[in-house]
Amino acid sequence: MDRDRIQSALRASRADYTEFRSETRQVTRIVYLGRRLETVDTISDEGGIVRALVRSGGWGLSTFNSLDNLEHRFDQAYESARVVQTDPINLAPVTFAHDEIRATLGTDFRQIPLAQKKGLIESYNDILLSFGRVVDTQAVYMDEFITLTYANSEGAFIVEERPMVTVYLVATAREGSNVQRAADGLSVPAGYEHVLGMEETARKVAQRAVDLLSAETVVGGVYPVVCDPKLSGVFIHEAFGHLSEADFVYANPQAQEMMVLGRQFGRDILTVVDDGGLPGMRGTHRYDDEGTPTRRTELVRQGVLTGRLHSRETAARMGEAVTGNARATGYRYPPIVRMTNTFIERGQTPFEQMVSDIKLGVYACDAIGGQTMLENFSFSAGYGYMIRDGRIAEMVKDVVLSGNLFSTLQKIDAVGDDLTFSHFGMCGKGQGGGLPVSTGAPHVRIQDVVIGGR
Amino acid sequence: MQDILTALRGKTEQAEVYSLEEESTLISFEANVMKSARVEQKQGTALRGTVNGRLGFTAAGGNVAKEKLINNLLASAQYADKVPISFPSATPGPEVTTYDPALADVPFSRLVEIGREIIATLLEADTDAKIGVDIERGLTQWSLCNSAGTQTSRKTSSFSISISVERVRGDDVLLIYDWVNGISLTDAYREAVQRLGAKIELAKKSASLVAGRMPVLFSPTGGLVLALPIMQATDGKSVQRGISPMSDRLGQTVFDRKITLWDDPTLVGRPGSGSHDGEGVPCRRKALVQQGTCNSFLYDLKTAALMGAQSTGNGARGIFSPPYPSPSNLVMEAGKSSLPEILAGIKHGLLVEFALGLGQGNTISGAFSNTLGLAYVIESGEIIGRVKDVSLAGNIYEDLREVADVSQESDWVYGQIRMPYILLPELNVTCKS
Repeated sequence: MDRDRIQSALRASRADYTEFRSETRQVTRIVYLGRRLETVDTISDEGGIVRALVRSGGWGLSTFNSLDNLEHRFDQAYESARVVQTDPINLAPVTFAHDEIRATLGTDFRQIPLAQKKGLIESYNDILLSFGRVVDTQAVYMDEFITLTYANSEGAFIVEERPMVTVYLVATAREGSNVQRAADGLSVPAGYEHVLGMEETARKVAQRAVDLLSAETVVGGVYPVVCDPKLSGVFIHEAFGHLSEADFVYANPQAQEMMVLGRQFGRDILTVVDDGGLPGMRGTHRYDDEGTPTRRTELVRQGVLTGRLHSRETAARMGEAVTGNARATGYRYPPIVRMTNTFIERGQTPFEQMVSDIKLGVYACDAIGGQTMLENFSFSAGYGYMIRDGRIAEMVKDVVLSGNLFSTLQKIDAVGDDLTFSHFGMCGKGQGGGLPVSTGAPHVRIQDVVIGGR
Repeated sequence: MQDILTALRGKTEQAEVYSLEEESTLISFEANVMKSARVEQKQGTALRGTVNGRLGFTAAGGNVAKEKLINNLLASAQYADKVPISFPSATPGPEVTTYDPALADVPFSRLVEIGREIIATLLEADTDAKIGVDIERGLTQWSLCNSAGTQTSRKTSSFSISISVERVRGDDVLLIYDWVNGISLTDAYREAVQRLGAKIELAKKSASLVAGRMPVLFSPTGGLVLALPIMQATDGKSVQRGISPMSDRLGQTVFDRKITLWDDPTLVGRPGSGSHDGEGVPCRRKALVQQGTCNSFLYDLKTAALMGAQSTGNGARGIFSPPYPSPSNLVMEAGKSSLPEILAGIKHGLLVEFALGLGQGNTISGAFSNTLGLAYVIESGEIIGRVKDVSLAGNIYEDLREVADVSQESDWVYGQIRMPYILLPELNVTCKS
């Protein structure tokens, strides 16, 4: 985008605060469904958003595809802001930068011919299909390159290239009416080389789908549960992380009471962190979508609630420091408080020791998904194993964990020494579909978890 | 559009150009106060075409560079799979109104008034509640032309209101939603407000439950647990991929006779209605499940072609994806008993209002295992209070073989599917206490 045009429109804006964000986006997708190539295509998109704040009004937004008449969009946002009537909104102070962040890619996926990308994902798909009883697959290759321009009336001007390369593999095995799925993938803001050599991932996915055919449904009940790093990471993001987002508490005194800093949330082995600055992860950026520098924020330190995630608005409202967590799902949407890379810090208990004193329990692995209704949560593990007399025993399926967040966090009685990040997360808060996040955790043991079952 | 189609002549055997323009207004209330207003302008173009029988696709949002679009389409068609598809010629469809010109004239101030009314009414039910309301008005125009002579365009209007209520008391959180939509501004939102108010009232009392097998009554929203696997199984794409448990059961009895599910694009005032689908195929009403028997699947042109079947007029599309089969408006047929009658017959059971984790498990297999976000205990025909930390599990292909009752009353759920109350005689309920 033309810098002079944006800056002069910002100067001309009659709002108390105005920001502009635009994206140009190029996406290549190759999708196999079973033997069929479902689609191989390249799409392009461009658009922008103007967000204006009028203190006697509120927030006004204008989103658009056509970048032609920019002044008109600034006017629309201002006029919209004027009709809103809310309490005066303040923004916490931030020192803004002029910056240009270029993507550093090992192998630039934009230079790889389509035929080569197709060959790669086809080879993974062939591995999935080579397993007898795998009746269907989904093998997705995707690369995306976004050039983002951000500017605001307080002096920020940031151009950032945001690359993402993704391989996602699903195998569906079937035996009569018994249909089982397994999935894995990788999605990172990096070069093409990261999605090479995933043959072993493909084999594991297919094997797991086949193995699940002969797994029994877990018997419902209350168990000690050891969660693998993938599931623990999704759990801490979904069940706890969302409550740490200040937009949940800032306008709600009862919620503030519930999430009061200093409250004991777990035992001293539990530390939870959000860090938008970790290199190479899905939630990593130098600045958030308000131009605020990102940083490491400890949410829970040794069991005690110590921090929360903010946008400029929530930070001002609560009198706390900005954390760089205002993120937007593309140019159609305003930034809201979101996590970046959220993880449970490494603990000290080796996995074997965690399992060894469980007489009857469940080892829950991988997360198909999770949903929380604030204090209540539900998580579907991808698969699991029974733990019998201190040993991992038979595989089980349909493992769904549920419970109350507060009592569950208190019941985390062991944190593993094997912190692992997983790079596939999409967080679905608010409008506009998923936002890339990474989640991480070691193995974690939780006592007295309700496992649904038949 | 026509110029792109002309430019594709000679480069493709068949071609299709789809374009979309949309303008919408959204006002948002957060925590009981109006927070923001947004105007949105959207435009985009999507192309499909065959080269040597290979079906390519591409799309672009924003200002379209014609040459780039055409090159992207040809590159896609070079590598794509062969599909025996034929784009349809112009064929008349049912006459359905999809556009209400009056909607564009509703003043902004009226939308704000509605938001305030919703919040004021719900605050009467609970003064501590934090209410969020999104009110959105959209006007869309899409156009489609193809090399078989179809040249059509449609204007649609849409109006939707989504409401969320959050109430925190100590560590007790209640979070409930409702959603209404249509092509016009109607007072359907008042029903949603009433439903939410009733839920807030009922949730004020708490109740406990002993785990075990018991009758379970699903409210329209709760019933999504049962409807979702049917929706997935009747999706022509699941059938074509061989992952639908219903794929080889056309004409067979799968569920209780009380279960009938319609796909109905002819309903007046519904946003899913229309004369033609996104591929120019005429729409029609059909039963997916008729009195428990698997009756029809939903196809777009491509899945139909791959299955050797005809498109059912269910080709849905946005800008950035190729068309895919999707229901228009789904209607689960209502029954004969009234809700009070059904409740009266339950000695000890559970009413499911809202399940967490929909679609997260192995849904296509019919299996469900959900924690319940909102559920009530029923004792001797009365709803006595909210129960928490409860989860439910089963499989529709076993548990829907016997349905105890289906209510006369039904509601639109998330604007997508109209559901009655459904009573299952026995399901396994797990809980902490």
